[in-house]
Amino acid sequence: MAEDMASRYQVMEELGSGSFGVVYKAIDTATGEIVAVKHIDLESSEDDIQEIQQEISVLATCASAYVTQYKASFLKGHKLWIVMEFLGGGSCLDLLKPGVFNEAHVAIVCRELLQGLEYLHAEGKIHRDVKAANVLLSHTGKVKLADFGVAAQLVNIKSQRNTFVGTPFWMAPEVIQQAGYDFKADIWSLGITAIEMINGEPPHASTHPMKVLFLIPKQPAPRLEGNEYSSTFKDFIAQCLTKDADRRPSAKELLRHKFIRNAGKPEALQELIHRKQDWDAGRGVSKDVKYYAESLNTITKPPSPEEEDDDDWVFDTVKAPSMWVPKGTDWTTLDEDENETDPAQLMADMHISQPPLPPRHQPNSTVRRTPVAERSPSTRRANTKRRSSGIKQPLGLDLSYGNSPSTVRQFRRVSDKAPSETPKVPPGFDENSSPKVASGEPTSKEAQLGHRAYSRAVGLSCQEVLSTTGDGEKREAISRLAEAWSDLEMVDPEGLYHIIRIMNEKLQADPRLNTMIPTSPQPDSPGRPRLVLAQNNPHLKSHRRRQSSVAEPNPPSPLSNMPGQNPAGMEHTKQLSDVLYQRWAEGLRNRWGI
Amino acid sequence: MAFFFNRGRSRQPADVVRSTKELLLRLQESPNTPKAEEDLAKQLSQMKVIVQGTQEVNTSPDQVHALIQASVQDDLLYDLSRSIHLLPFEARKDTQTIFSHILRFKPASYLDPKEPPKDPPVISYLVHHRPEILIELCRGYMQSQSAMPCGVILREALKFDVVAAVVLYDQSKEGEPAVRLSDLKPNLPQKGDGVFWNFFDWIDKSNFEVSADAFTTFREILTRHKNLVTAYLATNFELFFGRFNNILIQSDSYVTKRQSIKLLGEILLDRANYNVMMAYVESGENLKLCMKLLRDDRKMVQYEGFHVFKVFVANPNKSVAVQRILINNRDRLLRFLPKFLEDRTDDDQFTDEKSFLVRQIELLPKEPVDRSRPAQSQSGVNTAAVA
Repeated sequence: MAEDMASRYQVMEELGSGSFGVVYKAIDTATGEIVAVKHIDLESSEDDIQEIQQEISVLATCASAYVTQYKASFLKGHKLWIVMEFLGGGSCLDLLKPGVFNEAHVAIVCRELLQGLEYLHAEGKIHRDVKAANVLLSHTGKVKLADFGVAAQLVNIKSQRNTFVGTPFWMAPEVIQQAGYDFKADIWSLGITAIEMINGEPPHASTHPMKVLFLIPKQPAPRLEGNEYSSTFKDFIAQCLTKDADRRPSAKELLRHKFIRNAGKPEALQELIHRKQDWDAGRGVSKDVKYYAESLNTITKPPSPEEEDDDDWVFDTVKAPSMWVPKGTDWTTLDEDENETDPAQLMADMHISQPPLPPRHQPNSTVRRTPVAERSPSTRRANTKRRSSGIKQPLGLDLSYGNSPSTVRQFRRVSDKAPSETPKVPPGFDENSSPKVASGEPTSKEAQLGHRAYSRAVGLSCQEVLSTTGDGEKREAISRLAEAWSDLEMVDPEGLYHIIRIMNEKLQADPRLNTMIPTSPQPDSPGRPRLVLAQNNPHLKSHRRRQSSVAEPNPPSPLSNMPGQNPAGMEHTKQLSDVLYQRWAEGLRNRWGI
Repeated sequence: MAFFFNRGRSRQPADVVRSTKELLLRLQESPNTPKAEEDLAKQLSQMKVIVQGTQEVNTSPDQVHALIQASVQDDLLYDLSRSIHLLPFEARKDTQTIFSHILRFKPASYLDPKEPPKDPPVISYLVHHRPEILIELCRGYMQSQSAMPCGVILREALKFDVVAAVVLYDQSKEGEPAVRLSDLKPNLPQKGDGVFWNFFDWIDKSNFEVSADAFTTFREILTRHKNLVTAYLATNFELFFGRFNNILIQSDSYVTKRQSIKLLGEILLDRANYNVMMAYVESGENLKLCMKLLRDDRKMVQYEGFHVFKVFVANPNKSVAVQRILINNRDRLLRFLPKFLEDRTDDDQFTDEKSFLVRQIELLPKEPVDRSRPAQSQSGVNTAAVA
């Protein structure tokens, strides 16, 4: 059935990459209608598929002229196809490339957005990520809200949310403070978006996104300044950017604002679309059209004879019909010299869709390192319990996709393979970025260790402590510290390494402090982590947990009620495997968050 | 003048309920009557305002209470629950909102902190007097129009274990009265044709949206109320895991397959389900199924499969059947595992677990050992190796 659905759409050129997936233009052959189809490769996503379902269910329950219309979704192999209405005008962020909007255009976009927000809010939905990049235009100038990747559905119209999501520059103070927020958060983001459209960038754009997170609650709300703007426009922005969410007007109220009431027709926005087309043409941008090609790994194929794996399991009973039965192999014999083809490996080799390795940053570059396109699938959920570790980029807000700062779902850990990558800044901000200078390639061993210490331990620890700190002032202090570490890592990784090394020595030297530091594990115990753990290493937590669960005086041993589990002469084996097993089960439970 | 101001709210909840009921019956007789649909949508939207208020107007608990009483009196919820697929788009969402609110509604007398907490009155009404409503809501998965709203309502109701119990144990056929909470017979094995068992087919056979929603509800039923589910799985072990293995784990749908392997892991590793886990990992057939997952051609399926496979290997009291399979495949496994998903280099836990498994497999005895019998003097091979 799914295959039928897929064949109904004739997929054409690529439109761009969205929050998680590639978007193509396509024709619905049943109706002749042009649609946008988002392909999400579920194989490359470790996220709970439920999160994607959440996005779909929010979209599927929207029916408004001001919200991109959802049409269908279905599976093809391990790709999820989401069919949406096609909007040919591009996003407001695209339209900003030739230059900023004028006040009249901003007024129109704001009015249309307010109507979209009024609809969503009445439906008990919060968009939570309003910004120019998420505002799409049809070729006739109709304005629609898009990308519901982090939208929330409230069960109760009056209830509040606490989750920390959005994109830093556009986030309302109450969202950052995590003190509970509601629909009004979208209104703030709308105000920031208005500034973005008139100025080309949101306030604080040149500041590190991490820093922005404490500037927004602390500083007075941004205002639009300058004589070239009308007072009604300034007032509109001031209304949207009321720091006290209770006093901030609702979408409905703002629709009555003079700035909005005087706004022109959406058709006037076609000017912006034409301007962008001319600009593209003027730059001689030959549109680098990428056409859809079905990647090999979406085609479920029967095993071909060459690939048949002689190393398949030996089960002494009749095989289930779903198994492939290789011909000409005697199942009862175990031949050690069999062909060692590993199907997993074969499949891996065929993943042509895997992105090539991103280019490493050039030495001696004077601006901040450029973001790479690579984005690990694991970055969307920060405190995912599944992986106890992994190289996680510290305090990184993932700003890597597309050309706009992308949305934070909780805190993202940007797990790049290169431990020396630093928090990223979108290319659009490069010229404005803070005058930090990236050091060249680390040369000395100490420098490398310094980078590693930062990416493995220091940054993560700051982030972990930050995530468990509620108090605003403390959070700010921690953020500053984190920022300072990050600066140090960039400028002088060697120094960073020495600080940590000396700190460690001093800690060890102090008789009271050194009890905090774990002794290195016995080299021959197989299950123990082999890492020497820094005190603030997140591994330590799980390590301690394991140890304490083992050392628990009376563990509620799940095994004690097993019948006949004490074969004579095997007691110590049993104990050992019990310990291992328990440690094991503990790990499993962590993984599933039970 | 007062008449003027009250226009919007003048109609009493009972009136709204009565008109809604009449319109519903009319629509059931002759579906696709635009006029009736439109009128019904208006009534439901009024009802929604009563239970939810608007951003400007707060709800009145008295009005909500009156609405609930009238709905019970006119048996409106039953008709509503079985007609969601007939309603227009906005009306389906309104119905979902109405249900969600009244399921949670507690009158002031329920909120007395001195009293032990009680289930909301509508929940009690559903499980004691009108369980058919719950069954109809589940059957909402039979139509794609009603699947998502019904799913949302169901999950709201399933927060209460009494509701989960009715859904798990009901075996009524269409048109028959459903089981009352007081009539449940937990010790009686299920026949496998009750409403809960339909979830397997709804998940397996529906289109993506319906299937995914049905799975979410299915998961909720199986993971939320531990004691209830543990007892249920113990009584219906073969039936349940037979279907789980055959229909879900071996589903053609990538999402169903992957999600159900993960759910299997969650169920097995839940402390409350310890006995269920031990029974599951005792079976050689289950192990075979799991080992096939390791050789699936999709990495995330392999990965999820690994997390169930490891339970078999880590179990210190492996059954003879399990030992035999592992021993027969020892060399293959020892060749296979080191290369298994080896590009997961940044996943230390996975790497640790993999080497733990390798070690456990190396330590397997030459021949299966039956540990459920009094031990014969077993060779010291693995003892020495462990030490």
